[in-house]
Amino acid sequence: MTRVRALIGVMALAALAGVAAAQDYPTRPITLVAPFPPGGVADLTARPVAAALEKVLKNPVGVVNKTGAAGAVGMQYVATSRPDGYTLLLALSSISIIPEADKIFGRPPAFTVEQFAPIALVSADPTILVVRAESPWKTAKEFIEDAQKRPGQISYSSSGVYGTLHMAMALLEHGASVKLRHVPYSGAGPALTAILGGHVDALASGPAVVLPHIKAGKLRALAGWGDKRVAALPEAPTFKELGYPDAEFYIWAGVFAPKGTPEPVLAKLRDAVRQAVNDPEFKGAMEKLETPIAFKQGEEFQRFFDADARRLAAGVQRVGRVETK
Amino acid sequence: MAETVHNLLLGFSVALSPPVLLYAFVGCVVGTIVGVLPGVGPLAGISLLLPATFGLDATKAIVMLAGIYYGAMYGGSTTSILMRIPGEAASVMTCIDGYAMARKGRAGPALAIAAVGSYVAGTVSVVALMFLAPPLASFALRFGPPEYFALLVLGLLVLAYMSSGSMVKALAMATLGLLLGMIGIDQMTGYFRFAYGVVELGDGIGVVPVAVGLFGLSEILATAGQETPPAVIKPTLRELLPSRQEWKDSNWPIWRGTVLGFLIGIIPGSAHIISSFVSYAVERRLSRRPEEFGQGAVAGVAGPESANNSATSGAFVPMLALGVPSGPIPAVMLAAMMVHGVSPGPLLIKQQPELFWGFIASMYVGNVVLLILNLPLVGVFVNLLRVPYPLLYPGILVFCILGVYAVNSSVVDVWIMLVMGLVGYLLRKLEFEPAPIVLGVILAPMIEMALRQSLAMSDGHYAIFLTRPIATTLLAVGVFLVLLSFRPLVARGLDWRARMAMAEKGEEL
Repeated sequence: MTRVRALIGVMALAALAGVAAAQDYPTRPITLVAPFPPGGVADLTARPVAAALEKVLKNPVGVVNKTGAAGAVGMQYVATSRPDGYTLLLALSSISIIPEADKIFGRPPAFTVEQFAPIALVSADPTILVVRAESPWKTAKEFIEDAQKRPGQISYSSSGVYGTLHMAMALLEHGASVKLRHVPYSGAGPALTAILGGHVDALASGPAVVLPHIKAGKLRALAGWGDKRVAALPEAPTFKELGYPDAEFYIWAGVFAPKGTPEPVLAKLRDAVRQAVNDPEFKGAMEKLETPIAFKQGEEFQRFFDADARRLAAGVQRVGRVETK
Repeated sequence: MAETVHNLLLGFSVALSPPVLLYAFVGCVVGTIVGVLPGVGPLAGISLLLPATFGLDATKAIVMLAGIYYGAMYGGSTTSILMRIPGEAASVMTCIDGYAMARKGRAGPALAIAAVGSYVAGTVSVVALMFLAPPLASFALRFGPPEYFALLVLGLLVLAYMSSGSMVKALAMATLGLLLGMIGIDQMTGYFRFAYGVVELGDGIGVVPVAVGLFGLSEILATAGQETPPAVIKPTLRELLPSRQEWKDSNWPIWRGTVLGFLIGIIPGSAHIISSFVSYAVERRLSRRPEEFGQGAVAGVAGPESANNSATSGAFVPMLALGVPSGPIPAVMLAAMMVHGVSPGPLLIKQQPELFWGFIASMYVGNVVLLILNLPLVGVFVNLLRVPYPLLYPGILVFCILGVYAVNSSVVDVWIMLVMGLVGYLLRKLEFEPAPIVLGVILAPMIEMALRQSLAMSDGHYAIFLTRPIATTLLAVGVFLVLLSFRPLVARGLDWRARMAMAEKGEEL
């Protein structure tokens, strides 16, 4: 009896200590893990986020690039980190894709989305469909009609199998009932190089990296995956407008903590990220990257995250196991 | 022409302004350090320092990052020559003859030739970059997967020239390397291959941990296993400078390495790593005394060191002329431009002349800085060899582990390096050479990806390799080279390999 009482006492103390720690949070440097290499979207978003968070939380926030296996290494690292608010993750859409792909292969998942507590969405960049300027397709309609006529003949490059750029195309194939020919590359850079070199016909890409090539007359934008048109490309319609509501896709970036992080800490972090995205320096940095800020937190973020994850799961299911000839 | 000169003057006015000059200098110094540190290559160096450039303006940032890139190529040779530790993947070949020279007391000349070769290559390739960038860039973009595959097949033929011993042993090592290169996510289907649930193995086995383990660690282990410690080399001042003969022997290799490196460098992708391997093979093929390679041939240092340096300038061609992220390092540099609000693209030269021409001019300046920096350092570095082995080797071990860990913050990489060190030690005892393993690890993922991308493009038809002129030409060259190697079977006389085998047997008898 006394032992049980002592145990309860210890547990109560531990819980109290936990609450106290949560109220003091943060008291030491915080690590923001970017699961992709420096220079990529995740890294370039994580740096200004960390700088702005640092001002709000009055503690150093360091970005650590834990890269590998299309982001799975860094995401798994955070998923299994101590849930104390000192290890955070800046994840892209692929956080919902990787566990689904693991399922397809029937292997134990590196992590699941349930292992994370979403804090806030920071940015959401709709991908756009580009083709070479000298290609025959002037509009998305022509492109889709041609693809329906010649299944498996029109090729596209992607940042990698089950990667974000692949998923955008997979959702379009699903929505418009067409079959395209997929040539995966090892990253968004090589995928862009491939279409510029004329080795593939089409590419889904974030707007910022293809805009200069559109302006220089090398590429043509046909349509976008967002629910609104891209500001810099007012003439390119969205797939929604064209009647393909399932073809909605964003390369988004959001901040996550490991599941089990105390609620007071999460509340503090949500508030800190909200202040951070309103920081003028952060806004300036994102403007230069031509990445639209899209802040969502709490319920709203959860709804966005769930809807996105559902679409992506359907996309992965549709792609299924890739069998090459 | 007049316009180019005018633009270049504009560039120099930017590059020679004190702040820009300062950042070019800082970049060169950091690059040299990054190159010297085992395991930390230029990509890791640039990646680690990218955040530090966010506070600068675009020109300074780019100039500094480029300085790190080509500075690393100067520094990479140092540890290869002195301690047989490749500072980065591109200096693996320098380990062979550079270290052999050092064991003979010619470390100074090897370092000096590497620095001068790098300088010539750096400067000449910037001239090429300046005048040939636009036409070459469009050509480079025509290198799609089929062309890449054909080029890499040529790279495999390089293997024949990489070992001085038994051909069977070299091929066995290359096969081991190619098999190791199969580990990781299958890039075409997403399957995990041979990863046994270790997520960190998803991207495969890194070249750097393998190279540092096989060369550097195995050397340390082998030295520790000797009954009497090797004599400490005490170089004298006179021995720091290359002899007249050494200059003569490295003259043509430097020029050939420069041209070769530049041409391989402009091709999008990661092929620039193989430029030093190809250069080594070419020098050995052309040499009148191929049997000296592996025993301290100065051409085996001059060629590859020049090639890896001019490959860096070559890699900037598609990036600057077209704004294309043509390889991992240009991709990071383009990201740096975007952070500063400069959108890289085909219009960069017109819209940002100060940036473009300042960058070009800074590369001239940077190469001079590096030569001035590196030649006197030869004396300093060579004196490292005076440090007694019980102090030197544990220190090197620490730096190897730190360097390999720092790149990906990955303990798995450290384990790979340690295991490869043991493997390298065993292979040494059995008289296998490790260089073909490294080439295999580099080539396997690239060849596989290029082949399967090509077949994805053609819907499975192999005819794609015969309908594209560049790919077909490269493959024809490969077939010709293979046929050439059958010549000794038909013609009279023996080639160098057979002569060496004879000589070896003669000695043993």
